[in-house]
Amino acid sequence: MDTYNTFILCVDDEELPLTLRKLVLELEGYQVITARSAPDALRILDDRPVDLVLTDQVMPGGTGTELAQSIKRKWPDMPVILISGINEVPPDAMYADLFISKVEGPAALCAKISAILSARRCSLG
Amino acid sequence: MTEAQKVNILMVDDQPAKLLSYEAILANLDANLIKARSGREGLELLLKHDVAVVLLDVSMPEINGFEMADMMRQHPRFQKTAILFISAVRMSDLDRIKGYQSGAVDYISVPVVPEVLRAKVSVFVELHRKSRELENLNRELETRVEQRTRQLQESENLLRERADLLELASEAILVRDLSGVLTYWNAGAEVLYGWDRNEVLGKPVHEILGTEFPVESTSSESTLVSRGRWDGNLVQKTRDGREVIVASRQVYKKEVGSILEINRDITAQIRAEEALRQTERLAAMGRVAGIIAHEINNPLEAITNAFYLLRNHPSLNEEARYYAQLGEVELARVGHITKQTLGFYRESQHPVNVGIGEIIDDVLQLQARQLLINRISLDKKYFTDGEIRGFPVELRQVFLNLISNAIQAMPYGGNLRIRMGTRWNEASGRQDLCVSVCDTGGGIRPEHAKHLFEPFFTTKATKGTGLGLWISKGIVQKYDGAIHFRSITFKGKNITSFRVTLPGVSPASKGLESTYHALGDETSRAPLGHL
Repeated sequence: MDTYNTFILCVDDEELPLTLRKLVLELEGYQVITARSAPDALRILDDRPVDLVLTDQVMPGGTGTELAQSIKRKWPDMPVILISGINEVPPDAMYADLFISKVEGPAALCAKISAILSARRCSLG
Repeated sequence: MTEAQKVNILMVDDQPAKLLSYEAILANLDANLIKARSGREGLELLLKHDVAVVLLDVSMPEINGFEMADMMRQHPRFQKTAILFISAVRMSDLDRIKGYQSGAVDYISVPVVPEVLRAKVSVFVELHRKSRELENLNRELETRVEQRTRQLQESENLLRERADLLELASEAILVRDLSGVLTYWNAGAEVLYGWDRNEVLGKPVHEILGTEFPVESTSSESTLVSRGRWDGNLVQKTRDGREVIVASRQVYKKEVGSILEINRDITAQIRAEEALRQTERLAAMGRVAGIIAHEINNPLEAITNAFYLLRNHPSLNEEARYYAQLGEVELARVGHITKQTLGFYRESQHPVNVGIGEIIDDVLQLQARQLLINRISLDKKYFTDGEIRGFPVELRQVFLNLISNAIQAMPYGGNLRIRMGTRWNEASGRQDLCVSVCDTGGGIRPEHAKHLFEPFFTTKATKGTGLGLWISKGIVQKYDGAIHFRSITFKGKNITSFRVTLPGVSPASKGLESTYHALGDETSRAPLGHL
């Protein structure tokens, strides 16, 4: 799959995990833009096209599920993946397309991103 | 002597002179002397006064003495009134006088000798006084008897009321003597202990209730005797062998040598408190587990990503890449632990059809090597394929826990027996899936039994996390199922059996769906987990 022109918006309040996650995705060939909070992410989405949003769940200034809800309201077709250290699925997880635990590891994460993107391409024709 | 207390003497004679002479003779008798000139007047005066004795002239015109006496005797009030006839002695008169059967009757002949008259009258007066005193005493006695009767009646009513109250009490109320022999047993005791009063009265209380004292029974008894009372909780047995915990209050009545005891059943209360504490502890555990999971998972992801990047770095030689790989493997182990033990993470949001038989076979395959090493023989029978709606990962975890516990219980060989079948559940009207996992290992010590499903309880000093059964129970309960265990000794062998009951296939799958769609109805419509 052509990942070179695919832009992923990666959201996390913690810098180090965000950087490492970005590097993993870049290694996979994606173009990665980062945001440190939900409002940041929404501003970026207003400015430029993005193919997928990967957001942490627990963040100050707005949780991942809240961000997913805002995104879906404005861009209903935008794929949103929640990544969380919490093992329990949050009650409002349904706003996101997928909830994935951080313990799944980088390979599983990349596989799922790729699956969501290709499923989307198929549905868009 | 007051005027009122003086006795009355009625003198009846038609001759005033005679009346005057009688008056003079009787003057110093200290009595009221009432004079009547005829029988008629005499009768009238008799009605007005309480007369002690009637002095009666026999020969009077109109009504003579005998006629008047006859009239008096017909009246009940005067039947006993003393009559002293005054008459000239004639034989016929004496015969007539003897004819008066009842009442005090005497006669005195004329001419009247004053001393004789005085003596005879005073005898009658004295007699009257005495009988009046006696009457008074009698009357007083009667009122006292009446009063006492009324008091007795009142206290009897009070006692009956108290006795009724004792019967009304829901507490068990009993009375026993110092040696424990029961003398009273109320309705509350009959209900609490299941023994009828006629079965226990006269028998020693501790034999019947099998009372367990928090301290030595003789010392609590001596406290009771020396201090007069004792309060505390006791464990007792009911007729059907059930254990009850009672709050007991006992009082020793020295005067009668008996012990009064009131016992309130607090079993349910104590059990509820225990359960609440347990629930609170589990909830706290759950919260702590969630927090720990989050705190570990975040850095864990970062480190895992770092190792992933490192391993894939082009500058790495084979050896360095191998080291990075080792790190990744160990990190995966940490991830596995947090995922399995710290919360119930699910990959999928929708329940799917899960074949429990397949899951168990999977687990057994994983454990095949261990079974071989421990020389454990496997005896497995499925009476159903055990398909239910659920989440494979967590269901697998339940059976992995049970089977690996069983294997670890048999380090020196044994028999692992697995049975799966269905059972009709009358209460829910559905078919339940039952899986039992039995081992012939070390067994479960009775003191461990009640802690078995508590978090961080383990008998495997270093190997176990103490979370396996706790997690398994939590998972099974989410399915409205249950885990039970039994540990018995049979022919010198310990047999420990865990039985998992899960709500069956159809039509129960509906109930299961509702449990798993706790996220809300929208969950099923949301494009979640469709990968």
